[in-house]
Amino acid sequence: MLADKRTHDVQPGRAPRPAPVLTGDEPELDMDGFVEEALPWLDAVYAFSLRLVTGNVGEAEDLVQDTFLRAHRFWQTYERGTSVKSWLFTICRNTYLQQKQLMREQREIPAADFDARAESLSAAVAFGDSPPDPEQEFFDSLIDEEVVSAIDQLPENFREVLVLSDLGDLKYTEISEVLDLPVGTVKSRLYRGRKILQEQLREFAVRSGHLRETYFTKETTDDAV
Amino acid sequence: MMRCEEALSRLMEFVDGDLSGDEEAAVKKHLDICDRCYPRYDFQRAYLKFTRRLQDRQAAPAALRRRLFRAILEQEARHRP
Repeated sequence: MLADKRTHDVQPGRAPRPAPVLTGDEPELDMDGFVEEALPWLDAVYAFSLRLVTGNVGEAEDLVQDTFLRAHRFWQTYERGTSVKSWLFTICRNTYLQQKQLMREQREIPAADFDARAESLSAAVAFGDSPPDPEQEFFDSLIDEEVVSAIDQLPENFREVLVLSDLGDLKYTEISEVLDLPVGTVKSRLYRGRKILQEQLREFAVRSGHLRETYFTKETTDDAV
Repeated sequence: MMRCEEALSRLMEFVDGDLSGDEEAAVKKHLDICDRCYPRYDFQRAYLKFTRRLQDRQAAPAALRRRLFRAILEQEARHRP
């Protein structure tokens, strides 16, 4: 019985996180509320864009600019009191999809093709006899580039849900609105996306010698995500 | 008492804060005493803390901010009556 040592940090990443603030270099605009409400989310939209275009900085910057110019142009249609972050992410994604279509570069990969892969990666993470704080040690062994690379390798259907949730901090219902998907589909894609990503991260950690292969047992976490 | 299968099937929604109060309490109670499920929860918790911090480290470059703000001002000037 370890109850006295355990913590239950529900929605660990969502727990108190201050809203982004203005940096002081924003322009003075006539448009009511745009600077105060929309511009603080610039970093979040940039991070989302980077993953949409799988790390191409130039494309991400263009996408961010197009997103905010469009948001500025249609600011009057933003419904006050709703999530401005979700609204911006929706514009960002729609802009991205339109640009992709224009460039005839759309290469849709059916999520179903990856179901088998996701299943085969079910041996994700489990802990046997382990040092103190093993999960923290695991993540400390990773570097950002490895994680970003692993995220970028995810199939797009899984990647966009995972990025909106795990980086963008959106709730299932908000992701459902941004992507125009049923909440159930959001959950299943997030589940599969996390499973694939965590297995990739485990491989990075083992390959780089930060983890012993045997550290993770086969008795796994089919349902851990 | 909730069984392991049930607790694990709700683990993702638990860490994401998407369960009702009763369901959340039941999962918590299970994690308190289950040595098999708790490490899985603990891993997911660490994972989410890591990914959220990752986003915080990806700020928009200063040059992009300047370019964007200039473009917005130009757009506003064009549409000003």
